[in-house]
Amino acid sequence: MSAESFAESSATTPSSDAPLLVVNNLKTYFKTDRGLVRAVDGVSFTLERGRTLGVVGESGSGKTVLARSIMGLLPKRDVERSGSVKFEGVELVGADNSLMAQYWGDQMAMVFQDPMTSLNPVMRVGKQITEGLRQHLDISKDHANQTALALLSSVGIPEPERRLRQYPHEMSGGMRQRVMIAIAIACGPKLLFADEPTTALDVTVQAQILDLLQTQQRDRYMAMILVTHDLGVVAGRTDEIAVMYAGKIVEKAPTKVLFSNLRHPYTEALLSSIPKISDPSHTRLKTIGGRPPNLINPPTGCKFSPRCAYATDKCRTEEPPLSAPDSDGHQFSCWFPVELSAKQTSGVR
Amino acid sequence: MRDPLPDHGEELIHLMHDSEARSDVPADSVTQHFAAVSAGTVKAKKKGLTIGAWIAVGWMTLLILAAILAPVLPIPDPINDANPLKAAQGPTLNHIFGLDGNGRDVFSRIIWGARNSLFIAFAAVITGFIIGGALGLISGYFKGRVGGVLGALTDILLAFPQLVLALAVVSFLGRTVFNVTMALAIVSIPILARITRASTLSWSERDFVTAARAQGAGHIRTMLREILPNVLPAMLSIALLGIAVAIVAEASLSLVGAGVKPDVTTWGNVIFSGQAYLREAPSMVLFPSMVIFFTVYALNYLGDVLRATFDVRESAL
Amino acid sequence: MLRTFTLKFLRLVLVVLVVTFITFGLTKLQPGDPVSKIIPFGTAQQKAALTQDLGLNEPVYQQYGKWLGNFLQGDFGKYYDSKQSVNTVIKTSLPVSLELMLYAQFFALLIAIPLGVTTAYRAGSKYDRGANATMFALLALPNFVVALLLAIYVGAKWQLLPTQSNVIPFPLNPLDNWTYMLMPVVALTLGQIAVYMRLLRSDMIATLQEDFITTAKAKGIPTRRILWRHALRPSSLTLLTVAGLNVGALIGGAIVVENVFGVPGLGKRITEAILAKQYPALQSYVAIIAILYVTVNFAIDILYSVLDPRIRNARSVA
Ligand SMILES: Nc1ncnc2c1ncn2[C@@H]1O[C@H](COP(=O)(O)OP(=O)(O)OP(=O)(O)O)[C@@H](O)[C@H]1O
Ligand SMILES: [Mg+2]
Repeated sequence: MSAESFAESSATTPSSDAPLLVVNNLKTYFKTDRGLVRAVDGVSFTLERGRTLGVVGESGSGKTVLARSIMGLLPKRDVERSGSVKFEGVELVGADNSLMAQYWGDQMAMVFQDPMTSLNPVMRVGKQITEGLRQHLDISKDHANQTALALLSSVGIPEPERRLRQYPHEMSGGMRQRVMIAIAIACGPKLLFADEPTTALDVTVQAQILDLLQTQQRDRYMAMILVTHDLGVVAGRTDEIAVMYAGKIVEKAPTKVLFSNLRHPYTEALLSSIPKISDPSHTRLKTIGGRPPNLINPPTGCKFSPRCAYATDKCRTEEPPLSAPDSDGHQFSCWFPVELSAKQTSGVR
Repeated sequence: MRDPLPDHGEELIHLMHDSEARSDVPADSVTQHFAAVSAGTVKAKKKGLTIGAWIAVGWMTLLILAAILAPVLPIPDPINDANPLKAAQGPTLNHIFGLDGNGRDVFSRIIWGARNSLFIAFAAVITGFIIGGALGLISGYFKGRVGGVLGALTDILLAFPQLVLALAVVSFLGRTVFNVTMALAIVSIPILARITRASTLSWSERDFVTAARAQGAGHIRTMLREILPNVLPAMLSIALLGIAVAIVAEASLSLVGAGVKPDVTTWGNVIFSGQAYLREAPSMVLFPSMVIFFTVYALNYLGDVLRATFDVRESAL
Repeated sequence: MLRTFTLKFLRLVLVVLVVTFITFGLTKLQPGDPVSKIIPFGTAQQKAALTQDLGLNEPVYQQYGKWLGNFLQGDFGKYYDSKQSVNTVIKTSLPVSLELMLYAQFFALLIAIPLGVTTAYRAGSKYDRGANATMFALLALPNFVVALLLAIYVGAKWQLLPTQSNVIPFPLNPLDNWTYMLMPVVALTLGQIAVYMRLLRSDMIATLQEDFITTAKAKGIPTRRILWRHALRPSSLTLLTVAGLNVGALIGGAIVVENVFGVPGLGKRITEAILAKQYPALQSYVAIIAILYVTVNFAIDILYSVLDPRIRNARSVA
């Protein structure tokens, strides 16, 4: 008895020829006392079934808001959400929570950043897994328990019977994140969001969790959006990478292309901030100079221009559009893109 | 010198002083009342007072002025201007709040009642404020055994229904204004001690306190100059609610026949004397009840404004 | 686990001892000699005999010890004059007060919990603001005011319900029992609703911001279930503690309300004993209230660890 069989049975296919996810000009603004926070400001991309997209950017660039906005998980109050999110051809922007609840957990699921706070502290782990199963799949309690057991072993948790009866606080961070993954994949979603799933974890378990996500994604043929601030994390793990800055995608390309041929100065800066194995052990971590942009009163022109080494007057007055994809599927928004030298890539795995 | 406590002292303190598990939970009716009042009210307003706050301030000012000026106001005597022939009348033009069972003017009695009831409540809370505040400051500043024992003591005092405590004190000591005030003070001491202690504990860890100590400031000076100013907002906002609670407690005591003797006009006594005439002249009970309600409301409101302005957190209590 | 419980239990005993000793001391502090108050016109001989009888010439701690010994053996003493046994009075009046407080607590929670949960969910809405303002006003409404309003209108003016009550025990006639209990219970309940609702609401609002609520939402769990199954339990810890501590306020309220309505409960008996200076009886009443209060809070301490597994574990480790 495995969880996969349920994945199949629950997979309803309204229009299977449409791409899995089409995001078009998605905007998400927060109304605050200080003004309108433009956290996501016109993001567009398409994700096909079973493909993976890495979303990379500094802290505050709007990655989390983007993921939650696509999934419709943001509160309605004081949030302006516009644009279009089509999941298998069905428009989700403007859908009410009761419609969304049919997608949440069943068609799309999310693994959150902090496993310490993402699990209900006063509910047994087993219950937290079966709850979603019983919500979406018409199965008995026993059946759900069996499935939960199978799920726990498939995410690499030893002694699953015992773990099922435990509370989250009785587990380590890595274990809890495995549980979160089990919860997310329980109903066999077609799309999995992983929002910095390893940032809160020990370095030693980070790779394990990322590998687990990758194998689960492949085994179940899920599409995955992996959000991270670390280009190193997505390097070998995603089909495509979108680089976000100030709520916009500033560069997007298939992973290989991006690393061999990056064009945006921000991507370049991000990449050089990854510590390299070849560095002498006490090299100081390079960080990108300047402060992340103010999302309430963003700079005119290119949002990155105040921090950009190559910025000109044009950059400061006119905002560069995201270019049409070239033959490699490479897009970027920069008036003076980095030339095809790409020496920086040498240090990347 | 030997330790003031025998070896089992720590154990005993631990035994009596059990606060870790519920440190962020209101431990007595006033703090609880405070928590309920401040729970979920909107975050600190912009600078300046809202209309509501002005109304509350206005009401309290009016009341306090009336209380102070009662002897010179052109109103009948609340005790002696009796007229048995006109007992228990509803409101008329001459007596806007009506007459009580002895034909005395209820309006005048409420104003004189304000004088006595407010005096009792303020005096009780001020006493509690000073003694409880001092105890809290000392026990929070000198952690360890002194603090532990004092903390344990307040906990024990708090572990007792407060109206019963006040009732017992008054009935044992006699129904005078002084004794009722003392009874209510005894009730408010541990409450203020507890919040002051909690607040002091968190402030005394700060760098500027350590710095002051390092520059040679004495304990007393550090407590009064460095810590007290920071602890004061929390103390004041809970004291305001304490006054509200004391007003209600005074009235409750009178109502069960254990308050100040009826020859002193307090709000509680005004209501108590009206209880026998519910059918004939409910106004005798309604008006003083309304006045108590407005006063308590105003004090609750102001306490909350104070809390919000100074950002006193409930968890700090 | 066992150790913490033992410690807590010892603490409970200690509190009761200290409280009863203080009240005992207070009876000794009062001016004048109790004997001349009981029989002001008795001869010197009679007075001496009564003093002897009451053990009033022994040292205070001995008197206290004696009282405590009797109390522990279930002998709560006698009224001075009538020699009526305090035990019989307690037997008839305590159940009435307990019933009153139980109803009040039950209905207060029954109303406050759904209100707290729904207003927290719709925080900031018109519904929430309205409910909140009403509750804020209720906080300022002393229970005796409610009691008197009820007595004036429902009792005296409209004569819908009996005011001077002779509470019929529930087993004899439930309906009669309820008609007599209704007004006292309402008077006692209103203020508590406000306290519970506002505390629960602010806790719930905090809980609803938690990550695990988003997790539940992302699982597709319906809102109703998220509120009641996921958010309520972690939010109810404060509520529970407050409900326990509130027994103190409830006892105070019961004393007032029983007096306003003439309910023959323990609260009424206590005030009577105070006015008649029946100190031995009073002493036992105070002790019983202290025990009641402390026991409820002890029970809640235990419930606490049932509700929150983290506490359960922290304790078993300790
Ligand atoms: N509920 C909200 N109300 C107002 N502003 C918000 C809200 N949520 C997020 N923001 C703002 O939106 C911006 C983007 O936040 P987001 O959490 O998406 O960043 P992020 O890229 O995920 O960063 P991190 O790496 O730190 O997780 C931030 O400036 C943040 O302050
Ligand atoms: Mg984020």
